[in-house]
Amino acid sequence: MSDPALLSLTEVAARIRERELSSVEVTQALLARIEPWQPRLNAFVRIEADAALAAAKQADAVLARSGPKGVLHGVPLAHKDMYYFAGLPAGCGSKIREGWIAPETSTVIRHLQNAGAIRLGALHMVEFAMGPTGHNAYLGPARNPWDTARISGGSSSGPAAAVAARLTYAALGSDTGGSIRIPANFCGVTGLKVSYGRVTRAHVMPLSFTLDSVGPLCRSAEDCALIAELIFGEDPLDPVTAGAPAWNKAATERPASSLKIGVPKRFYVDDLEADVAAALDDTINTLRQLGAKIVSVDLPDPKPIDAAAYVVLSVEATSFHAPWLRTRAQDYTSPIRQRLESGLAFSAVEYLEALRWRGPALAAHLQAIGDVDVIVAPAAPAVAPKIADSDPAGGANADAIKEMSRFTRPMNYLGVPALVVPVAHSADGLPIGLQLVGRPFGDETLVALGRAFQQVRDEHLRVPQLA
Amino acid sequence: MSERVTPERVKAFAAAARVPIEDVAAVRAARAVEPTVRRLDELALELPLETEPASFVAIARKAATG
Repeated sequence: MSDPALLSLTEVAARIRERELSSVEVTQALLARIEPWQPRLNAFVRIEADAALAAAKQADAVLARSGPKGVLHGVPLAHKDMYYFAGLPAGCGSKIREGWIAPETSTVIRHLQNAGAIRLGALHMVEFAMGPTGHNAYLGPARNPWDTARISGGSSSGPAAAVAARLTYAALGSDTGGSIRIPANFCGVTGLKVSYGRVTRAHVMPLSFTLDSVGPLCRSAEDCALIAELIFGEDPLDPVTAGAPAWNKAATERPASSLKIGVPKRFYVDDLEADVAAALDDTINTLRQLGAKIVSVDLPDPKPIDAAAYVVLSVEATSFHAPWLRTRAQDYTSPIRQRLESGLAFSAVEYLEALRWRGPALAAHLQAIGDVDVIVAPAAPAVAPKIADSDPAGGANADAIKEMSRFTRPMNYLGVPALVVPVAHSADGLPIGLQLVGRPFGDETLVALGRAFQQVRDEHLRVPQLA
Repeated sequence: MSERVTPERVKAFAAAARVPIEDVAAVRAARAVEPTVRRLDELALELPLETEPASFVAIARKAATG
């Protein structure tokens, strides 16, 4: 392979550590791809070429002098523009935080830096991570590299588009109702929504403290594992991680033949676009061929989960934004301001009942799945829509937008992990992904299954071409 | 059937939160939220007295270790 930008994260990191490639060469290769792609995708909000090349040069010098700092030594990465780097801007996709300088560095970013990663820039996102499409009336939409007339999905719009187009080897996104999984699905990359409480969110822009999770979008499940090993575990700065186990690498070796996989009988298999339904059937066949035991599962009605999650997300987001709603309401774009104003409409009792029901809802889910290890389900009922057909402005597309995240929202409320893997392409050449949904803290099992799937299939290796 | 979430309710909650809200926005918010509140009413979620938000953590951890 001649272009280092096309290597996986695992491969490029190993080749830098072994001095087969320099960090400068790798950074130059990414910058060379970014130049033609960025005007088409709007994936980056900042490209920090000079700083990245200087950091790469320094990384090469350190490597020559004293060996690798860690597994990601000299690897350039870019993340959703809501991860804080002390002394650098983090705009959060908004006018309100335009020019804001972060006073601290996100704990997960520190972990990546300690492993040797360097910063390439910052990636596009939906304003304050509030929306599944990739539209942003302030920044303009991020576009899908497989068809730039279509959305990337959101809210981790830039990470998905950039990973798919091979402009970064991996990116951290965030997922409160599907914001890693929806864009991963639409752009054909592998995205991990982690179990609630296993990865710190300290010094990352919050949206809903009950539902937020941070995690990687990568070119493969194997690459997700490399990032996960660095970011999982306890952090005193995020109390929900108290007692959280570190990443268990051995558990990612679990063979597919030891797994029982559940296929939902309803809801997740209802009203699917034909290509998505075919991809689900095909994937189940592949999993069966890998030796997994396939069973049907009758999951509890997701409607109450959906309603409760909506209450929790709305109220918590509005709580975070209340100071700005009081003083700078005019600086929100219209769709985001309207969503935040809706959060004012719930009573305290409604909010707390929605929050208290989370435990019973998880208990019912666990009872329904029994000893099933992984549920396989579509990530969305259809492929990425056209930009004009999914614009939240004006409200005409509200139902279509809500439909986009109907399969992803329940997992945030239940706190369970989910891995999106690309499994097919539609007749129009658009990626189709499925989500593998695990048991609480069963993130490693998902990576094991995702990796086994990707060892016998090649959808994750396909790369979009410049039009 | 009477509305559960009225614009007046939204304006009252907004005032309590010290967030200014225009009349048209209160109408829009009430309309947006009404179906969810009504759905939760209809579902009548069963919540044992002892259930608190942190009960979720206990159930998740038990499932992870059990």
